[in-house]
Amino acid sequence: MKNRIIQAYKQAPWRIQLQWIGLFLLGLVLIASLTGIYLSINAQAASAGRNIQGLESDIDNINNEIASLTTDLAIARSTERMLSRAKELGFTLRQPGQALYLEIPAYDPNTALLLAPPRVNTIIEAPTVRQSYKLSLWDWLTDTIWNTSSTTIEIEGGQIP
Amino acid sequence: MKPPFYTRYIIVALVCGILGIGIVVQMVRINYTSFTEDLIIKSENYQGINELIYPARGTIYDRSGNILATNQISYEVGIDLKFVNDPESIAFAAASLIEDLDYLEVFELADTEQMGETENRYFVLSSYVSKEKIGELERLEDSYAARREQTNAGKPNLSGLVWTPMQQRAYPEGDLASNVLGFYNYFSRETAQGVYGVEESYNTLLTGRPEYIFMPNNPYLIETLPDIDPGASLVLTIDREIQMMLQNELAEAIEWSGAEGGTIIVADPKTGEILGMASSPFFNSNEYWTYEETFPGITPFNRAIGKAYEPGSVFKVITMAAALDSGVATPDSTYNDATGVYWVANSWPIYNWNMGAWGEQTMTGCMRHSLNVCLAYVADELLQEDLFYQYVQAFGFGRGTGIDLAAEANFPLRLPDNNQWVELDLATNSFGQGIAVTPIQMVAAISAIANNGQMMTPHVVKSVIDGGQQYDVAPQMTNAPISAETAQALTEMLSLSLEEEASLALVDGYRLAGKTGTGEIPTETGYTSTLTNTSFVGWGPSDDPHFLVYVWLEKPTISKWGSEVAAPVFHDVVEQLVVMLNIPPDDIRLKVADE
Repeated sequence: MKNRIIQAYKQAPWRIQLQWIGLFLLGLVLIASLTGIYLSINAQAASAGRNIQGLESDIDNINNEIASLTTDLAIARSTERMLSRAKELGFTLRQPGQALYLEIPAYDPNTALLLAPPRVNTIIEAPTVRQSYKLSLWDWLTDTIWNTSSTTIEIEGGQIP
Repeated sequence: MKPPFYTRYIIVALVCGILGIGIVVQMVRINYTSFTEDLIIKSENYQGINELIYPARGTIYDRSGNILATNQISYEVGIDLKFVNDPESIAFAAASLIEDLDYLEVFELADTEQMGETENRYFVLSSYVSKEKIGELERLEDSYAARREQTNAGKPNLSGLVWTPMQQRAYPEGDLASNVLGFYNYFSRETAQGVYGVEESYNTLLTGRPEYIFMPNNPYLIETLPDIDPGASLVLTIDREIQMMLQNELAEAIEWSGAEGGTIIVADPKTGEILGMASSPFFNSNEYWTYEETFPGITPFNRAIGKAYEPGSVFKVITMAAALDSGVATPDSTYNDATGVYWVANSWPIYNWNMGAWGEQTMTGCMRHSLNVCLAYVADELLQEDLFYQYVQAFGFGRGTGIDLAAEANFPLRLPDNNQWVELDLATNSFGQGIAVTPIQMVAAISAIANNGQMMTPHVVKSVIDGGQQYDVAPQMTNAPISAETAQALTEMLSLSLEEEASLALVDGYRLAGKTGTGEIPTETGYTSTLTNTSFVGWGPSDDPHFLVYVWLEKPTISKWGSEVAAPVFHDVVEQLVVMLNIPPDDIRLKVADE
């Protein structure tokens, strides 16, 4: 009886084989998928790396071009060139007797040249407790509601949120 | 019962096992052989390169933002043997387009068959090739490519001839202000540095900080290169229009006077800013390799700061300033020049420039007629050695001015405690003989008289631009050797002197103060040379000085007197300078001030 029961519930050998084959193929598919994903990510990373190299090269070329153009501009605007161009256009150097002096209120001819923002003293803020840690639940709730309603009004008024 | 093929399975397993163990053993063994380090180094070479990246050298501007020094792109041209397949075309292109390249030499380098297997696969043919030449190479390569397409052949081909960009220092204004700028010897990048002038004194700031950056070959490891801050840029106090005018005037003056050389300095006495500094010979920093031809022997790069000389009578300004400030004399104090000779310690006679006697003179008269005997008397009897040298040192003589230019010369002062000093020195020093100074020392000292007694440190850098921010250089006071009252009184004396003398230095419409100088030149046998150093120092407008001009012409042949050689040059300079500095004539300026 016992054997008959076991036999009744025992799977046929071909089914067991099929299951094993299925399991093996599943593992194979999993490995293939992982390998594919890994290869794809690596290929993308490598491609991005090459793109970065290309962009760095572009930056270098652009910087070189800027330097080159700056020099060309400086040469074109050099004193000697400007003088010869002025002469070609019929200008002559002013003589002391030819200068006409006019008083222009509030005009300062000696304004300082500013090629970059002046130095600013950076004040490093001391670490403080965040505002959010000081809020009560009620404060947070009212703030959130207020901010949400303000944003809505601004959007309705055509403002950029 | 053994399964079928059991023995075969065992043999295969054993073979595979032995092979596996062998591989593992070999791997372990390699790690402990003498080749390990070599292998590691070789593997590192394949991982990438550690490249030293040089930041772009900072730009130098004049006070109005015009570029005086910048960087331009040039190219290194080389042969990469890996890609060469037509050495004839490479040799032809390189030799025909790039100077100094020989067809045969290039061909020998490019011919892979001849070179065979060599460690060095890349050869530099030429450095700093202009972009125009590279443009021609590119056009030639395009035409070869078109020909190859038509003929379906592999030749002609420039493959393997490579050019890589590199930065080269450029001075767009040519020789303008080159004596102030100095130059950058860029040919060898590892040893390149600024030489002379601002390029040397601010070399560290201009260069920036080169950094090593690892560039991996593995694209997976590539990241964006970190930004390397360029070197700091400088804004100079030099005005390029004033500088050009000074250089033109100096060149004309040297030609006209037959002088050996000269210098003209224009400074703002209120701040110490140098507005222009011309010095002969002129030099094109773009061609710095011609340095030795331009400055043979001991010729200084910049006479204004690099050459000491005996200034002659312009130094009387210092002696008189000391006398007035110490109270031993006033502008109206008198001296009776009865004989035209002053005896020092009853041993050494001092004569006037014309060997004549000028009778009774006020101190203003002494300055007006530039009387040596009078000034010798003031120094020897009124000031005496302690007070005189105390003032001379307070005016900064005997030490550098601190100007921010490289190679400032300084001739030590011979003081009474020096055993080479003799009593005669006190008398001769009072009129600028036996004492060596540089033009910039004179400018710094006399700026005190033009600036109410306050002596400002001369400087050429107005601002530094670093890290995207501009830092202005604040004017610095070196010393206050005399009081404001003394400075004003002396300015008035020297203004009167010029007017009464009807000096060639006077400029219509402007009241100026100034003093001529004629310095004898010492030789090995004493003051036997007939040649002189002629100079003139002047400032104006007298009531509110905005400029100080110093002219020095060395050994002129047309005349030996400062009043005839240097004074007219001062006039020509100031006549143009007032227009460039927008300083109206005194009547207009004072009228506006009154309103």
